[in-house]
Amino acid sequence: MADLEIRGLKVEADGTEILRGVDLDLNQGQTIALMGPNGSGKSTLAYAIAGHPAYEVTGGTMTWKGTELNELTPDERARLGVFLAMQYPVEVPGVSVTNFLRTAVNAVREEDMPVREFMQTLRGEMAELDVDQSFLQRSVNEGFSGGEKKRFEILQAALLKPQLAVLDETDSGLDVDALKTVAEGVNRLSGPDLGVLIITHYTRILRYITADEVHVMFEGRIVASGGAELADELETGGYEGIRAAHAAGV
Amino acid sequence: MTTLTTLTEEALTGASDAAGEPTWLRDRRLAAYKRTLDLAWPDSRADEFWRSTPFAQRLDVERDIVAGGGSDSPASFTADLDVEVAMARIVDGVLVEVTVPLAMVAQGVLVTDLSTAAAEHADLVEPALGSLTSSNSEGTGSGADRTITVNDAAWTAGVFIHVPAEVELDAPIVIQVHAETGGAHLPRVLAVLGHHARASVYLEHTSGADTDALVDEVVEVIAHDAAQLDVVSFQQWGSHVDHLALQKVQAHRDSRIRHLSVTVGGRTVRFLPETDLIGPGAETRPLGVYFADEGQWFDLQPYVRHLAPRATSDVLFKGALQGHSRTVFRGNIFVDKDAVGTDTDENNKSLILTEGARADATPFLEIECSDIVAGHGSATGQIDALQLYYLTSRGIPREEALRLIVTGFFREVFGDVDLPGVEEAALTEIDERIAAADLSRFQVNDASLKDHHDE
Repeated sequence: MADLEIRGLKVEADGTEILRGVDLDLNQGQTIALMGPNGSGKSTLAYAIAGHPAYEVTGGTMTWKGTELNELTPDERARLGVFLAMQYPVEVPGVSVTNFLRTAVNAVREEDMPVREFMQTLRGEMAELDVDQSFLQRSVNEGFSGGEKKRFEILQAALLKPQLAVLDETDSGLDVDALKTVAEGVNRLSGPDLGVLIITHYTRILRYITADEVHVMFEGRIVASGGAELADELETGGYEGIRAAHAAGV
Repeated sequence: MTTLTTLTEEALTGASDAAGEPTWLRDRRLAAYKRTLDLAWPDSRADEFWRSTPFAQRLDVERDIVAGGGSDSPASFTADLDVEVAMARIVDGVLVEVTVPLAMVAQGVLVTDLSTAAAEHADLVEPALGSLTSSNSEGTGSGADRTITVNDAAWTAGVFIHVPAEVELDAPIVIQVHAETGGAHLPRVLAVLGHHARASVYLEHTSGADTDALVDEVVEVIAHDAAQLDVVSFQQWGSHVDHLALQKVQAHRDSRIRHLSVTVGGRTVRFLPETDLIGPGAETRPLGVYFADEGQWFDLQPYVRHLAPRATSDVLFKGALQGHSRTVFRGNIFVDKDAVGTDTDENNKSLILTEGARADATPFLEIECSDIVAGHGSATGQIDALQLYYLTSRGIPREEALRLIVTGFFREVFGDVDLPGVEEAALTEIDERIAAADLSRFQVNDASLKDHHDE
C-alpha cells in the first residue's frame, strides 16, 4: 500500500463535479509531477488533499499511511505531515510572520520549540531561500510580491518538515532566478522521508526538480502516466495530443 | 445625600469651601449649576449626538453622588514596566493618592489635586479649567449637554497635570479611576502641556465586579505649540457600570496628539474623544479598539474640528462584537472654511463574531473648505474563512487560528504606537475576552473561498 493512496476520488466545488474518479499513489522519497491544462482539476486535487473547505469529496478514498484524510480537519492533516504550498497564498493582516511560523511549528511538532532555537532555524532557512530578514516583522503575505509569496510557502515547508508536500503551481509567476531558488529549496527538503507532488501546467520547473513519475490530468481524470519523458513530450506536443486522444476515446 | 438631579447651591458651596477651593472656582461651579437648571437631560429622540445611545432606557441619573468609600484599586498594568510612572488614584470619588517620581518633580512637573491646584496655581488652572466644556463650545461634548455641565458643577475628585514647556517625559502619568461604591462618580482631569513638552497620560477605569455605578467623566487637555501628547484610556469596568466620558484635547500649532481608547468593560459606555485643532500644522490621531460582549453598548464618537490650516487628523476605530451587544461608531470631522490644506481620514471597522451582535457606523464629514484632502470609510464583516483555512492548513488548531485572526485585526490600530506596555495590555484584555468566548459560535464568512480556486 502506498503512503498516499487515492482511489476513485470524486470532488465537487460549488455543486460542480471536478474530479471524476482519480487514482494516484505516492510514497515518501518519491517526487511525482501532475500536469494538465487549465481546468483539468489538478489544483482541485491539491486542495482536496489539504482539506480546503470549498471542495467537497463526494466519492472515493484518500489515505495517508492508512488514515482517511477526508475525515480530518486541515490542521489535523498538517499535523500528520501534509503540506500544501498554495497557488494563491492568503494574506492575514496583523499576524506577524514570526508569530505565525512559531505557532505553526509548535502546533505541528506538538511541543514548543525554544524561542532561540526557533529563531536560529528560521534565520538559517530564510538565508537559504534568500528571504529578507525584514519579512519577520511583516504580516503574513500582506504586501508580498508574487515571488515573495511563493518563497514564503517553501520557507514554511522547510520549517514544518512535512512528509507529503503538494506544490500547487509553485512555479507560476516566478522569473527564472526565483524559480531556481524555489526549486533548490524544494530539493533541499527532498529525501527518503518526503513525498513531493508537483502540480504544474508547464514543464519548466521539472528542469530543476527531477520527477520520478509524470501524470497527466484531463477533465478530472488521470489520462496518461509515465516517466520524465512524458513531460518532454508535453513540452514539444503540448496538451493538444492528449486532448485529441481523449476525444477519440483512446 | 445628593443625586445628579437634586444638586443645590448650598451643597456645592459647602463642598467647594470644604475642599479649600478659591472663590473663582466656586463661582464657576455655581454658574455651571445654574446652566444645568436650564438644561433637560438628553433626549435621544431629539438630540442628534444622543441618538446613538438611548439615554432614558440605559442610564440612570437618580443616583447618590459618591464622595468617599474605598481606597484600594487594582494594580496598574504599568506596574510591570521598568519605568517609574507618576500615579494619581481616584477611588470612589476621592483622590486618595498621588505619587510623582523625583525626576519629574525636579523638572517642574505637577501631578496634583485639582482643587488644591486651583488655589495654588490659579495662573495655570483658571484659564484652562472648563475652557473646553464651556457653553460656547460646540460638538458632541458641548456645554449644552447636561451630562457635561453637571460635571463642571459637581466634580468631586480632580487631577491637575502640568508639564512645563520643553520638558519631555519618557514615563507615563497614570490616573486610575476606580469605582467600588455604587452611585454617581464625577471624576475630572485637567492637563496642560507647555510648548515643546512631551508626555503621555494613561487613564485606567476599573470597578468592583458588582459595583452598580454611573461614571460621568470630563478630561480636558491643552497641548501648547509643538507639544507631543499621548492620551490612553482603558475602560475595564465591571458589567454594571455606565460610563459617559468626554476627553477633549485642544491642539495648538504643530502639536502632535495621539488618543487611544481601549474599551472592553462597562454596561453602557459613551465615549467622546475630541480634538480641536486650533493651531496650524497640528496633528491628531484618535484611535480606538473595543470588544463588546453580551449586554454591552458602546457608543464611540470621535470628533475632530479642523479650525486652522494644514492640520492633520487620522481616525481609526476597530471593534469586535459577540453576544447580544451593540456598538455605534459616530465619527465626525468638521473642517472650518479657513482650514486650508487640511488632511483628514476617518475609518471604522467592525468584526461581528457571533449572531445577535450589531455594529453601526456613521463616519461624518462636515466640510466648509474646498482645499483639503479627506477620506472616510467603514466596514463590517466576519472572520474570513480563507484566512482561517490558511492558518489551519499549517497545523494551527481552529481555536488558536481564530484568536490569531481576531488579535491581528486589532493590531493595525497600534501600528507605530510604541507606548510602553499599552499594546500588550490592550491585546491581553482582548485575548481574555476571546479566551472566555465560545469560539465554536464564531461565524465565518466563506465568500472569499469561492474566489480562491480557479479550476
